[in-house]
Amino acid sequence: MEHLSAEARAVERTDAPPDAVPDGQSSVDSLDETVLLDVRDVTLRFGGVTALDGVSFDVRRGELFAVIGPNGAGKTSIFNCLNGVYRPQQGTITLGDKRLVGRAPAAIAALGIARTFQNLGLFEHLTLIDNLMLGRHHLMRTGFLTGMLWWGRAKREEVRHRAAVEEIVELLELEPYRRTPAGLLPYGVAKRAELGRALAMEPTLLLLDEPVAGMNLEETEDMARYLIEVRRELDLAMILVEHDMRLVMDLADRVLALDFGVVIASGTPDEVQRDPKVIEAYLGGAA
Amino acid sequence: MARTRGGPHRNLTRGYSDDLRLFGTPAAKIGLALMLAVLVLLPTVVHDDFWLSVLIYVGITAIGAIGLNLLTGYCGQISLGHAFFIGAGAYITARVGGDLDLPLPVWLLAAAVVGAVLGGLIGPFALRLRGNYLAIVTLGLIFIGEHIWRNFKDLTGGNSGTSVNAPVDIGVADIDQMVIAGETYSRNQGWFWLVWVLVGVVALLAKNLVRTRPGRALQAVRDRDQAAEVIGVRAGRYKIGAFVISSAVAAMAGALFGAYQRFVSPDEWNLLLSIQYIAIIIVGGLGTIFGSVLGAIFVGALPALIDRYSEYLPGVQTGVGGEGFISVFALNQAIFGLLIVLFLVLEPRGLAGIWLRIKAYFKAWPFSY
Repeated sequence: MEHLSAEARAVERTDAPPDAVPDGQSSVDSLDETVLLDVRDVTLRFGGVTALDGVSFDVRRGELFAVIGPNGAGKTSIFNCLNGVYRPQQGTITLGDKRLVGRAPAAIAALGIARTFQNLGLFEHLTLIDNLMLGRHHLMRTGFLTGMLWWGRAKREEVRHRAAVEEIVELLELEPYRRTPAGLLPYGVAKRAELGRALAMEPTLLLLDEPVAGMNLEETEDMARYLIEVRRELDLAMILVEHDMRLVMDLADRVLALDFGVVIASGTPDEVQRDPKVIEAYLGGAA
Repeated sequence: MARTRGGPHRNLTRGYSDDLRLFGTPAAKIGLALMLAVLVLLPTVVHDDFWLSVLIYVGITAIGAIGLNLLTGYCGQISLGHAFFIGAGAYITARVGGDLDLPLPVWLLAAAVVGAVLGGLIGPFALRLRGNYLAIVTLGLIFIGEHIWRNFKDLTGGNSGTSVNAPVDIGVADIDQMVIAGETYSRNQGWFWLVWVLVGVVALLAKNLVRTRPGRALQAVRDRDQAAEVIGVRAGRYKIGAFVISSAVAAMAGALFGAYQRFVSPDEWNLLLSIQYIAIIIVGGLGTIFGSVLGAIFVGALPALIDRYSEYLPGVQTGVGGEGFISVFALNQAIFGLLIVLFLVLEPRGLAGIWLRIKAYFKAWPFSY
């Protein structure tokens, strides 16, 4: 399956929902085989500490790809490299045909990578609607002067993007909180709002950094439901960093396991779950 | 109370453009009408030059405060250099308006452009520095400015200052001596209308700015600049933009100040003026346009009132060498300091926050929440 992807690049099926297998497709794999994100030999060091050591993987269109590993394994570092927050010393990261290493975070966002944060990255003094509208910042054009002059272009743009934001509000059932400052949202809602802001960016690749951290079972199941909903409604690939193994095993198409910045296993959730090295990393070695 | 008559509820919105109206509800429309009525009628009722001039200074200060609030309240960039940009605007007006005798829109715009350029030069410092460090750099502006104001005599007239004889007329109407329907209005009456119409225009433009894409970006940078970058906001660009727009507005306030006062000297653009502006936006409410105006009314009117009524205040010196332990000037500074501390501790959202609470109370009345 891993090496198939290279030959299958020519196959373009952009509009197929991930759960629908078209006729004549004999493969059990319903995913689009086009590689969206290609990470090759990425090494990231902070002084003497190697956070990522030759990490390689690829993510295909429409895929839900999970990254697991114990604390400090380098999961969030991968996100920070993809985002352009960190710049890896070695390796290449390619999204479609664009190389990402060396680009500024805002430029990478405009290329279609959105992200949620482990410890919430909402703008606390702005309302939920404003937070979501900020997700559409890179899709909008209004500058200082046109903004000040409201009537005309700025207003039309606001109305148009507000309509797009409202679709996300509806999808994630955020209606009661439209005008609530993000800092006052209940934790579970704030996590959902952050997902909403990322979706408002209309990304092709969505990075989810522990979307259910600190949630109880009910909230976790809600979030899982929303993630499944998002996959069904929107055409995007996701990379999920998560400690909740049940969520990962239920949702992910493929899993990558990291330990101390090194890839120790990758494959389907079942394969990774049974891998002795993964078990050792989580439970500690016998010796 | 249930509505018995047919028709939509007064707060109904039928689309996103309704929802985005600034004065959407009947209450807001009444408020707007009241403000306009006060604007038009006040100078015809109040003829006292003292009060009119206090209100003119308050209006000019409100414009400057809106500028600082865009930078500090909305974008989170602390600046102690606001007085520098105000001074620059006043001197530009002395030369462009006074010497070249160009009309009001031209010297006002010239001041704004020069302010914007100066802000654009200072802005990049904000990319490297934040918080206290940025405050120190902008504090440096005050002293560099003072050196320029005292020594660059062709522009500023040096230590002794310069007169500002800028023509103040819009089209046919001469603000200094306005004639409407056979009635002649005094200089102070005309200036009241001019300044407060400009307060309205600047406030509206600023409000539009902060509720659209660039304004949201400024606030995102203030709340979390790294998250802002990750979702596609170029934080550096908006920090510089905030400096540009803030100092352009400040320079316009300075231009009006100079033209109204007809004379400016280097002693006016000192650190205390900057601190007075910081006091205004803290008292009025950081991150609110309306609060900038409220704060200017509150803080701006105070020195004038203390000055006027100093003889009735115990312990205040009314003249040099007079009785009392504190001069009017020192009392003003002490009150600014006290106001900043009190508001930061007791009501960080400022007068605008108090106003919101009052509104919320009456919205829910007779219930307490």
